Amino acid sequence: MASVSLKELRKSYDGKTDVLAGIDLDIADGEFVVLVGPSGCGKSTLLRMLCGLESISGGSMEIGGQVVNHLSPAERGIAMVFQSYALYPHMNVYQNMAFGLKVAGKDKAAIRQRIAEAAATLKIEHLLERLPRELSGGQRQRVAIGRAIVREPRLFLFDEPLSNLDAALRVQTRLEIAKLHRQLDATIVYVTHDQVEAMTLGDKIVVMHEGHIQQAGTPLDLYQQPRNLFVAGFIGSPKMNLLAGTLAEAHANGVVVRLSSGESVRAAVDGSGMRIGSKVTLGLRAEHIHESRAGSEVFSGEVGVVEHLGEANYIYVSREDGEDVVIRGDGERHVEIGQSIVFSADSTAFHVFDEGGQARRRLRPGNMVSSARSFMRSV
Amino acid sequence: MKHEVNTVRPWQLLLFLAPAVAIYSLFSAMPLLQTLGQGFFSADDSGKAAFVGLENFRTILLDPDWSAGFWNAMLNNAKFFALHMLLQNPIGLLLATLFSLKGLRGARTYRTLIFLPTLLSVVIIGFIWQLILSPLWGVGEKLMGFAGVADFFAPWMGQEETALTAMSMISVWQYVGMPMMLIYAALLAVPDEIVEAAHVEGASAMRIFWQIKLPLIYPTLGLVTILTFVANFNAFDLIYSIKGALAGPNYSTDILGTLFYRTFFGYQAQVGNAYLGSAVATLMFLVILAGVGVYFIGVQRRLTRFAL
Amino acid sequence: MRNRLIVHATLIAYAVLALFPIALILTNSVKTREAIFDDPLALPTMESLTFIGFEKVLASTNFLLYFGNSLVVTLSALLCIVLFGAMAAWALSEYRFMGNRVLTLLLALGIMIPIRLGTVSILELMVKLDLVNTLTALVLVYTAQGLPLAVMILSEFMRQVPSELKDAARCDGVGEVRIFFQVVLPLIRPAIATVAVFTMIPAWNDLWFPLILAPSDRTKTVTLGVQQFIGQYVTDWNSVLAALSLAVIPMLILYAIFSRQLIRGLTAGAVK
Repeated sequence: MASVSLKELRKSYDGKTDVLAGIDLDIADGEFVVLVGPSGCGKSTLLRMLCGLESISGGSMEIGGQVVNHLSPAERGIAMVFQSYALYPHMNVYQNMAFGLKVAGKDKAAIRQRIAEAAATLKIEHLLERLPRELSGGQRQRVAIGRAIVREPRLFLFDEPLSNLDAALRVQTRLEIAKLHRQLDATIVYVTHDQVEAMTLGDKIVVMHEGHIQQAGTPLDLYQQPRNLFVAGFIGSPKMNLLAGTLAEAHANGVVVRLSSGESVRAAVDGSGMRIGSKVTLGLRAEHIHESRAGSEVFSGEVGVVEHLGEANYIYVSREDGEDVVIRGDGERHVEIGQSIVFSADSTAFHVFDEGGQARRRLRPGNMVSSARSFMRSV
Repeated sequence: MKHEVNTVRPWQLLLFLAPAVAIYSLFSAMPLLQTLGQGFFSADDSGKAAFVGLENFRTILLDPDWSAGFWNAMLNNAKFFALHMLLQNPIGLLLATLFSLKGLRGARTYRTLIFLPTLLSVVIIGFIWQLILSPLWGVGEKLMGFAGVADFFAPWMGQEETALTAMSMISVWQYVGMPMMLIYAALLAVPDEIVEAAHVEGASAMRIFWQIKLPLIYPTLGLVTILTFVANFNAFDLIYSIKGALAGPNYSTDILGTLFYRTFFGYQAQVGNAYLGSAVATLMFLVILAGVGVYFIGVQRRLTRFAL
Repeated sequence: MRNRLIVHATLIAYAVLALFPIALILTNSVKTREAIFDDPLALPTMESLTFIGFEKVLASTNFLLYFGNSLVVTLSALLCIVLFGAMAAWALSEYRFMGNRVLTLLLALGIMIPIRLGTVSILELMVKLDLVNTLTALVLVYTAQGLPLAVMILSEFMRQVPSELKDAARCDGVGEVRIFFQVVLPLIRPAIATVAVFTMIPAWNDLWFPLILAPSDRTKTVTLGVQQFIGQYVTDWNSVLAALSLAVIPMLILYAIFSRQLIRGLTAGAVK
């Protein structure tokens, strides 16, 4: 296994517009890194550049300390699992897995052994004689992974491997990939557009947008301290509530924001250097809202739509003169549509974004008490 | 998707089917069946048709007056086919492969230009080449002179040993476009990701071609083969327009199509005989049917189209 | 990249091989007889430029009539093939009925078995119907020849029309015939290009049926006309070259205009 280092990596198709601009990223040996972002953000392009399927327009790429800009995919010690699995339709599972090894000149005995090991790990020993078209989607996916494993590469690349599976299979396979990561102690770069996948699988998540890295960090980092509006809106489900307002007071130990709907909200973020009266956006996650006056900042509104999930419900509240807010509430507590509702949040729960969409540093990000726990406490 | 219960009324169904079925039956299917049947008849002394069983077939296949001509035509046709399989289809495959290379500049232009001969009438092409190869004009000789092999030039079209080969070359030259286009379309259908996967696994371009792409286009290669077979054993226009129905010199370019024409319509001294002509047509039909049968049963079953 | 150079060299070489015979004929068709023989590979110069061959061809034959005949026959056959073929393809692909599979099989066979084999009977039939030496005979025969492949291609395209569209129309109470003409037919326009390519070219270039069914001067097609003219004037090089050029030029012009659609039509149909 190996580490990966990208310095000022650039990609441009026509020499004028950059599809990827100035990518700097370090991946440690054995790390599971997820590239996540909306369509067109450049994550697949970056993955293909890592693989060697796309040329590098600028910057350097190192794998295991070796500069690989001009090396072919096989020379880089890389294996890729494609979105559509790309199994060779005319070869059975065994032959599919053996192909790369044959190209590399391994002898039959070594090939047989490696395939046996990989098949055992992935539990596909009983499928070795079958053709791809005789396999289910999940089975094909495991064969595709098996094909990558047998080559014992330095780096595994996954291109949206779960997008072609149905929801239940997706969850199951997600777990298997996580287990595989630990079992093989592999360095993995994984591309997905699904932020839940990213959060559950990645050691490090890289959020990309329009060819730039917006933020790279652990799942918790991205959740607790998103660096800008894009990342804040992208990570976390449901999407973070965003409320427009202007800055009323700004101090190093907190700010006061006057919302356009009239309320004054205290937020525990570092406000040093901020200009009074500047436009700011307040962020608040649905799960940090209490369905009561328990928090320090209180709001009110009318219940519009309620979505019941069982373990929780999502209450969409419409506010007079203000944006709608979604609250994650206790699934077993009844909420009436049209009823007035009072809700609140602690000042430590808020995110503040300046005029340019950049986040201010939160003072106590990890200090969140979720509404469920507070409810338990009050019982 | 077909519904369990038909939404269409019977008279409407009839309306949809009638014209096509009528024309096809009247002018294609029934005439063929009739011809097959007519081969079992002959004109008796009063000129009426009388059933003669396999007499006509015996005449064509075994009677010394006729059988030599038949077997000669059969053999020539087989040679004709062999030359096409040896040259037309491999060259078509090569060109199709080159066209499907990634990022080839001007691929579309090449395709358009190289496909042109296939579109033109075989008659025209035949005449053009006849002129070029004609010793009178000397263009052929001159061109060979550029390559330094002018001494090897000979009036191939007029020589008994070489005439059939010359005709075959002309036909190959013209019809390369057919396998070229069909194979190109099939190569396009091979998913990019499969080729990329092989590339990532370190396979060279040659290996990808032979071990990945080629096996995936076997069905198309089979189709090209049977189409060539049918076209070759049905060929007529080229030979007729250059050599006439006598398919000289000395019947060396005679193939089944010209034999059929001559037998049926007569030519110069030979009187036409509709019944014998029908018998020849029946034999041609059997040959083609045999080939098609082999294709459908043998080839199709083994080389099933892989679910891509 | 050296590999690419070899590829281009090969393709250019083959393109030259494919084109030079035609180019040769075209350039020499406007040269004087001496120039043709003295230097066949040269382009015509001011002195050697002449149109005498063309004048002769147009004067001694009804070339324009032949061209018109070919056009009428090919276009009429195309119309019949597309219309009747689409109707039959629709019936076969959309509805279940007894004999559906048999009919489909018979038509599939028709693609492989050449129609020429039944010529003896076709001619007898045309005689009986008093259609010898008419363009109608050719249209009927070419329609019969082109229907099997057309039905196959069109039914493939029709199968891909989403059922929702047809069912929605049915829910609205639209009759089957109207669904065919107003919903399905407009959606398979690309297929018509494919069908056109596969049926018009063999019809236009055919020698056999014009020779056997309609050899009279009134009904000659371009292909037959050129073949007979050349056979007759074989030593008159100017005329021969001019005739060949006249036969080729319309095709070249049409090809230059429609090549993109043509090749797209070919490759689309070929995959099916």
